[in-house]
Amino acid sequence: MIEVNNLRKEFKKTIKDPGLKGSIKSLFHPKTETIAAVKDISFEIADGEILGFIGPNGAGKSTVIKMLTGILTPTSGTCTINGKNPTHNRKNYVREIGVVFGQRTQLWWDLPLRETYGVLKEIYEVPDDKFKERMEFLNEVLELEDFITSPVRTLSLGQRMRADIAASLLHSPKVLFLDEPTIGLDVVVKHNIRNAIEYINKKEKTTVILTTHDLADIEMLANRIVMIDKGSNVFDGTISELKSKYGQIRELNFDTSDAKAREKLAYVKQFKTKKEDIIVEQEGNMVKVRFDSSIVPVSEMLSYTLGKIKVNDISVKDADIEEIIARLYKHEVG
Amino acid sequence: MIKQIKRMMRMHRIFVTQELKRMMEYKANFVVGVIAFLLGQITNILFIWIIFSQIPDLMGWNINQIVFIYGFSLIPKGIDHLFFDNLWMIGHFYVSKGEFDKYLTRPINTLFHVLVERLQIDALGELIMGISLICVSVPKVSIVWSLEKVALTIVAIVFATFIYTGIKIGTAAIAFWTKKSGNITYMFYMVNDFAKYPVTIYNNTVRGIITYIIPFAFTAFYPACYILTNANPLYNVGMTVIISIVLMTIGIVIWNRGIRAYESAGS
Repeated sequence: MIEVNNLRKEFKKTIKDPGLKGSIKSLFHPKTETIAAVKDISFEIADGEILGFIGPNGAGKSTVIKMLTGILTPTSGTCTINGKNPTHNRKNYVREIGVVFGQRTQLWWDLPLRETYGVLKEIYEVPDDKFKERMEFLNEVLELEDFITSPVRTLSLGQRMRADIAASLLHSPKVLFLDEPTIGLDVVVKHNIRNAIEYINKKEKTTVILTTHDLADIEMLANRIVMIDKGSNVFDGTISELKSKYGQIRELNFDTSDAKAREKLAYVKQFKTKKEDIIVEQEGNMVKVRFDSSIVPVSEMLSYTLGKIKVNDISVKDADIEEIIARLYKHEVG
Repeated sequence: MIKQIKRMMRMHRIFVTQELKRMMEYKANFVVGVIAFLLGQITNILFIWIIFSQIPDLMGWNINQIVFIYGFSLIPKGIDHLFFDNLWMIGHFYVSKGEFDKYLTRPINTLFHVLVERLQIDALGELIMGISLICVSVPKVSIVWSLEKVALTIVAIVFATFIYTGIKIGTAAIAFWTKKSGNITYMFYMVNDFAKYPVTIYNNTVRGIITYIIPFAFTAFYPACYILTNANPLYNVGMTVIISIVLMTIGIVIWNRGIRAYESAGS
């Protein structure tokens, strides 16, 4: 059980005027301001859950993850994993967790991959027999065999990521933090990594906290989403809750030979809505209408459109999660 | 406690082995590095030889004693350089680039981890040079050896090493607030050049600085003074021990506070 309670992190930032002159001035008269990167966030994660932790760039995701992994000391608030607190006893706390930062590696760069596991075994005090068993398991799930004797510097990004995930799981942590584990990977490798994460979660009941900008990761893996923006929690719930809360957006696509279809369809006037609630685009024969089905019911939209112009083919699409999140990030809804 | 020390020794061995394996990965680089360092040291020694041969006597110290002091100064410096060189990386880029994150996610003491992670084999050049200078000078200076002196010499070398390490820890840890502190460490570290010669040759200001402020004189001159002349072991070696403990303590305090101020870097 992970409990995050009013977690807050403030950074002091030096304000500088531009240019060398500004830098010199700031050297002698530094002006600082305090910026709250994370503003009193609270949430809980149950054992065995996969939590998708998302938010736009600069929302404070990394700061939260770094506090949860013992890297940053919170300005106030607490986070505990099974009652353990990183601020009081970091060493004890980090035994419970495994961490992968997709943009960094904790592998020994110059040495064959196997050597990394040998050292981590000592750092985490994994007994010999347990280590052997664990390596076999990780080998099976992440297929390390092909490159375990190669120096880390020669691994491809996909191999390196698998190796890094294995490194974070060597000590059988109860909680696994994955910060952008699929960044820069091709579709096949992404798929394999998602499968591996899912398998480990099912098999070992490992709690997974996943941050990513690839929403397919979230859709495939996460039971629940916590979304933050500007340092505050803006959404906490399942994907279907997210969809029903913000997902009333529908997309109507039709094919028409009427070149003036767009002009003829006076949706805003007809339904007396605001301009931004119904967006119409036309490209040759194809017309795309995006609208909020909680304002304009789909049936009315269809009958109005079909009554107004001649349509050859028509379809209505649900907004996908990517679209919803893009709108949330851009503050169009919520 | 004993279990903990055992574990630390085991970890140290593991990391050192790892480092040796790492060096073997790049053999040519390693060999050239050692040769280059030895060449550097030889030029150094030729240079001081030329100077000293012009000044056979220096404020009551003869050439052989000076060579002994110079050689002795290289021993603690070399040991610190060999084992604890990784501290430079803290101030130069581990902190500013966010690489320090890695240490904080592992269940071992961060300072210990940083200290034992790297082995700077270049330092063997310093150690070889130091030992050679001592070997050359010892037969020519009349040192009265006793069991007590051997023991105190070892004590002095160990604690003198930690004077270097303590200063490096404290100055490197400033990076947790300033993001970079390599130049601060460098500034302090470079004062050690003064400590290679008898402090009596300097004026009061310099002598005061290297004795009381950045006390590198206790890494070389004072303990060497005791070894050469038997003078005042309580001060010459005792102060080395005390200063070493004080500097290590200050270093560790700054380090531990620094960790709480560490801000990592954007991902």
